[in-house]
Amino acid sequence: MTATDGNAAIRMEHVTRKYGAITALKDLSVTVPKGQMLGLLGRNGAGKTTALNLMTGYLPPTSGSITVNGMDMLEMPRACKRQIGYLPEQPPLYDEMTVTEYLMFVCELREVVRRDRKRHAAEITERCGLAEVRDRILGHLSKGYRQRAGIAQALCGNPEILILDEPTAGLDPRQTADMRALIRELGEDHTIIFSSHMLQEAQQLCERVVILHEGEVAGDFMLNAPGAAGSFLLVKTAGGGTKAAEMIRTIPGILEAGCASGEKRQENGLRIRLAKDADNAAVRDAIFRKLAAADLPIREMREEREPLEELFLRLTE
Amino acid sequence: MKGYFLTPTGYVFIGVFLLVSSVLFYLEILSRRSGDLPSFIASIGYLWMLLSPVLTMRLLAEEKQKKTDQLLLTSPVSLPGIVIGKYLAAVSVLLTAAVLSLLYAGIVAAYGRVYPLELAANMTGFILQGCCFAALDLYCSSRAETPASAAAMALGANFLLWILDLASDAVQADWLAEAFQFFSLYRRNEPFLMGQISYAGILFDLSFAAGCLILTVYRLDRRRYQ
Repeated sequence: MTATDGNAAIRMEHVTRKYGAITALKDLSVTVPKGQMLGLLGRNGAGKTTALNLMTGYLPPTSGSITVNGMDMLEMPRACKRQIGYLPEQPPLYDEMTVTEYLMFVCELREVVRRDRKRHAAEITERCGLAEVRDRILGHLSKGYRQRAGIAQALCGNPEILILDEPTAGLDPRQTADMRALIRELGEDHTIIFSSHMLQEAQQLCERVVILHEGEVAGDFMLNAPGAAGSFLLVKTAGGGTKAAEMIRTIPGILEAGCASGEKRQENGLRIRLAKDADNAAVRDAIFRKLAAADLPIREMREEREPLEELFLRLTE
Repeated sequence: MKGYFLTPTGYVFIGVFLLVSSVLFYLEILSRRSGDLPSFIASIGYLWMLLSPVLTMRLLAEEKQKKTDQLLLTSPVSLPGIVIGKYLAAVSVLLTAAVLSLLYAGIVAAYGRVYPLELAANMTGFILQGCCFAALDLYCSSRAETPASAAAMALGANFLLWILDLASDAVQADWLAEAFQFFSLYRRNEPFLMGQISYAGILFDLSFAAGCLILTVYRLDRRRYQ
């Protein structure tokens, strides 16, 4: 992938994880460059949580290697764990502690120097919007505040990488919006990997999306990048329909071509998906020549993004 | 790891310990006008067997149940560090109870005679016994899914350890009887109760506790692979 060793925050190589006879992840390789906001999508049971649990060192892989900032998780677990803050699916809160006590405790766990702990915990409390509940017992907090406390906990010790497992699950719309704003803000100075089953959320927040399906990477693409996977060419011609589609299919670098659906069909729209490594410009030129030779003038050619939802459904069939 | 005094558990433990031990103190010492501290300390030694599961049941089982182990295991702390931290927390509560029970010795001293060396030996045995139970029960907590089942397992384990001594009288085979006696914590504690510092006893108790802690670390590590 794009990242070189020097700027990879997390690199998973050929990682397989089995639970007894069940294989949760199959030969997974993903590299997350520093500073990226990556959304991990997939249906329930696709292996998202397992992937995150492996990245954080909570579970060891059955085979394969995981490195954090270039350090191997199995060889240097403590150094790796220092770099990562983790919000599991269920925030790991000690219900009998107050917010402040809890954060002080986590700061201690995460090796914050004793004299800095108070200040550090207070800053995090402020940043995560927990100031008004700082002296309340965690067990008495609402779901939204508990989730915030979970994020606050992940920030203790200033880790560079944040791994968040479904950070907005179970929140009301207001809380969801607040949580997203917080994640976006944190994304400015952290590498963030979060899982979600809300596609819209990934679209709003992420630069890159990895779709897992049955323990394997089913899709990995940058959002908002030209020529990225998940985008297609829409070509409108002066006629031709299926014949034109057949002709275009023979061009190297084209994965599939077919008639567009709905309104675009009436305008002789063709929907063309390029192979991942295809040269976008060269393919466009070839399409032009082919159609021109068949006397099918092109009236419009543009790149469209497949809606994430459609893409997701297609990849996780 | 230092959660005991934030929760009622530590206080309840010490409270119940003091309540029951003072009833025993009344029955064995005051009502009989006796000064027999060693046999009193032997009696409150049984309390460890019953109370130690309460102290340790939550330590690891609850972390697992509430998934707070995800915080511990993804923090820059090693597994032995976590287990030792938990164990020391339990032992510190136990020591607090032991120190408070010196009060009884004080009361006896005010009215009669206490032999400091004998008392020291008694207390050493008493504390070591507590440390053994705490380690064994911590291991039980690492195997259990919930605190309640951890407590049940720990009680069972403690009880078994206790009846080993009785069992050794009942079995025919000498080698089995010897093996039972070897592992019997009560047999090991006898010299301490008679006022001797038994180095074999200290060594046994410490290795017993260490063995339990090593098993606990091993158990937690294995669990991550399953």
